[in-house]
Amino acid sequence: MGSERKPPQTKVLILASLSGGYRGADSVGQLHTDYPSNTYILPVISAAIFPESFYLNSFEQGIDAILVMFSGTDSPFKGSAEKTAEIINHAYALMKERGIDTRRLRLVAICTVCTAAFLREIHRMEALLEEIGPVSAELSASPAPEPEPQPA
Amino acid sequence: MPEKKPKPETPATFARLPKEAPRLGVYICYCGGNISDVVDCERVAKVLGEQPDVIVARTNMSMCSDAGQAMIEEDIREHKLNRVVIGACSPFLHEQTFRGTVSRAGLNPYYYHHVGIREQDSWVTHDDPEGATAKAIRLMNAGLAKARHLEPLEPIRLEAKKHALVIGGGVAGLRAALDIAERGLKVTLIEKTPFLGGHMAQLESVFPTDEEARPALHELIEKVVHHPKVTIYTSTVIVATKGCVGDFQVQLRPVARGVRGVAPGIQAAIEACPVEVPDEFNYGLTRRKAIYFRYPGCHPPTAAIDWEHCTLCGECAKVNPKDIRLEREMTTFQITVGAIVIATGFQPYEPRPGEYGYGEYPEVVTLPQFIRIMAMAEDAGELMWNGHPVRQVAMIHCVGSRQVPGVHEPQPDGKVNDYCSRVCCTATLQATADLRRRFPQIRIFDLYEDIRTYGRGHEEYYRQASLSGVRFLRFHTEQGPVVIADPTGEHPLVVKVNDYLTWGEELEVPADLVVLAVGMMPGPIEDLIDVLKLSPGNDRFLLEVHPKLRPVETAVTGIVLAGTAQSPMNIQESCAAAEAAASKVAGLLSQGLVELEPFVAHVDLGRCTGTGACVDACQYEGAIQLETRVIDGKEVQRAVISPAICVGCGVCVSACPNRAIDVQGWTLAQYEAMVAAIAAEIPALVEVEA
Ligand SMILES: Cc1cc2nc3c(=O)[nH]c(=O)nc-3n(C[C@H](O)[C@H](O)[C@H](O)COP(=O)(O)OP(=O)(O)OC[C@H]3O[C@@H](n4cnc5c(N)ncnc54)[C@H](O)[C@@H]3O)c2cc1C
Repeated sequence: MGSERKPPQTKVLILASLSGGYRGADSVGQLHTDYPSNTYILPVISAAIFPESFYLNSFEQGIDAILVMFSGTDSPFKGSAEKTAEIINHAYALMKERGIDTRRLRLVAICTVCTAAFLREIHRMEALLEEIGPVSAELSASPAPEPEPQPA
Repeated sequence: MPEKKPKPETPATFARLPKEAPRLGVYICYCGGNISDVVDCERVAKVLGEQPDVIVARTNMSMCSDAGQAMIEEDIREHKLNRVVIGACSPFLHEQTFRGTVSRAGLNPYYYHHVGIREQDSWVTHDDPEGATAKAIRLMNAGLAKARHLEPLEPIRLEAKKHALVIGGGVAGLRAALDIAERGLKVTLIEKTPFLGGHMAQLESVFPTDEEARPALHELIEKVVHHPKVTIYTSTVIVATKGCVGDFQVQLRPVARGVRGVAPGIQAAIEACPVEVPDEFNYGLTRRKAIYFRYPGCHPPTAAIDWEHCTLCGECAKVNPKDIRLEREMTTFQITVGAIVIATGFQPYEPRPGEYGYGEYPEVVTLPQFIRIMAMAEDAGELMWNGHPVRQVAMIHCVGSRQVPGVHEPQPDGKVNDYCSRVCCTATLQATADLRRRFPQIRIFDLYEDIRTYGRGHEEYYRQASLSGVRFLRFHTEQGPVVIADPTGEHPLVVKVNDYLTWGEELEVPADLVVLAVGMMPGPIEDLIDVLKLSPGNDRFLLEVHPKLRPVETAVTGIVLAGTAQSPMNIQESCAAAEAAASKVAGLLSQGLVELEPFVAHVDLGRCTGTGACVDACQYEGAIQLETRVIDGKEVQRAVISPAICVGCGVCVSACPNRAIDVQGWTLAQYEAMVAAIAAEIPALVEVEA
């Protein structure tokens, strides 16, 4: 007893906009509604700052799923919702190339009081991870391409 | 634009200052048990205390208490800490508190990072204390990773003109203008039509007090017009803006009024005009001339020429050649203001032709039209409409509001109005009360989905209507009422409805008048949205940054919202929003200096190669530009940020192929470090997670 180790937990990264998803997560907390502890929420001003490579790198590091909880068309920043959606589409292409299941990355609009939607997205992603397992299996199944030269 | 002289580049601006080695202080709050009842805070402190660069790791029952803050201050001084990470409640509650703490201890306030482990950990992981503890460790470890990359930041300080522009001369704009002026700031108010007052001028008695709308409005207008700090331009719109908070340069385009002063004998000139058009004041129910007053007693008390319909025939000018000039164009002029209030209001929903018989039967009118019909009706005798007496009226709620995709036809932009317009329920019930009082013989049927009389005193209208014999019938969205011609010919119309108060019974309500309680839609301000780079929401109303914590502020610093430009509101709420907007403006401008958060884009000139991708991606004109510089004797293009215009949205960050731009305080490197920390194997965690 005690010597048996659990398989490594999957990790779900949540990039939550300060004007939407992050406050939505706070609202869920205020309701004291439980959800799995393998969820790591990082506040973002707008997810439009992340280039597509950011998502791929996160998977390479061992993040098993990413939920981008942006404010959708209710974003206070002009053009940022469209830009985020565009980047995520590009990220899907990179994921496919790298053999990563594109369902691991989801862009969802979450408002400050969208508690039900927040929980639904988390549970949906947890269910998916149960089904497809950690990202490491996909990464080791398909070799990484030669890294592109980075600016100094 | 004139060519700018290239700036010589000094190597010093290429490199950031060398950073001193991080000395981290980590603090985990028990939050009086809110966190520590689930998360093993001592264990979190122990694991984090073993991480590189961590000098102290402590817990406290209440980190935000005086004692908790004093402990942090003392540690900063004693251990020469240069970064602080605190795990506590939501950053929205105490981030500012702890910025103050570190800054009192002499540290730059942006050398602090806050991690939310209450709302996003202990409060959502009650049944899994081990998991909650491991999560806290990972989140805090990510906080440490970010903290190692923190840079000292300074707020952006700008000189501010003590002058505000208010756009829109409805009740919200007028209230905002007066409140700003009362605080000692100069105000310019522009109104696109020739007259002040907006929609409130078209109302008679208003809920919840039943006071007369126009006298109350005129009292406000008098105060604004006579205030020495206020300048008003009617028939004027914005055509362009430049600059940023504190210093917006705004181009205004006025249109000539065509009439000068009170113009004695102007009535004769109006009568001489051969052009007649639908009168918008009465929502097209009556007609007016192309030279007109909005209504008797309107402000300004000078007639105006409607250039859109005037044929320039000169008949009016023949009657009064001294005061009437048929020259429309005026020159554009510029004003410089520190802040802008948007009070452009709403427009009533215009039903589609055929929607509930609208446009098909003259007996189907909207609620705003009905209010005007009542205003024009003689009190004595019968209410007449379309040549026949009105004996039965059917009011239908939620027309153009709370629409459901698939049930209601979308607007031209493809969207349905799924929001509640909030004002119409009470306005409808108030109209029924008015009808009942003045024409007690008329039978009234009120067809509703839900009655939403939400404000203080509003429910009283519903109670009174019920008591006074108004018959309520409840329909479901999918089975809305249908308006048809009365086959018996006894009344002009019949409204068919499945009434859910009687378990879906199909009823037919004969009606002489059907009143559609239309919702509110934002005014047509696409041009303004474009010029000022505003964000409309999914419902097309203008968006505030955050409804609870930054109400009335838009994402563009210095531009605030007042009244129904932001969402459906009644007069009381429009005025409250206007007062909030005025305080925001006064808070920003009264010192003559604006201080802004430093979370704006920053260009690393060592990496920038002048591709211009950032400029193309940016939606905020002037926020980022390419400038010619001389480097190593060669002229090159480099991106330059205007911190006051940049909103820090970060669209430019992802667009840059060279990673030469970041949003200060939220850099990509910080995120990468946080993700790596979350993903990392932490040896001490193996035990917790096993
Ligand atoms: C049928 C009905 C009944 C109502 N009854 C009541 C009631 O009984 N009690 C109550 O409290 N509320 C009532 N209301 C709500 C009330 O009418 C509004 O709350 C109020 O009029 C909103 O004022 P506002 O200044 O925000 O907008 P508006 O009155 O629409 O004023 C906006 C002004 O801005 C001007 N403008 C627009 N665009 C520009 C531009 N680009 N440049 C310059 N100027 C511009 C417009 O011409 C207008 O003058 C009712 C509303 C309706 C529809």
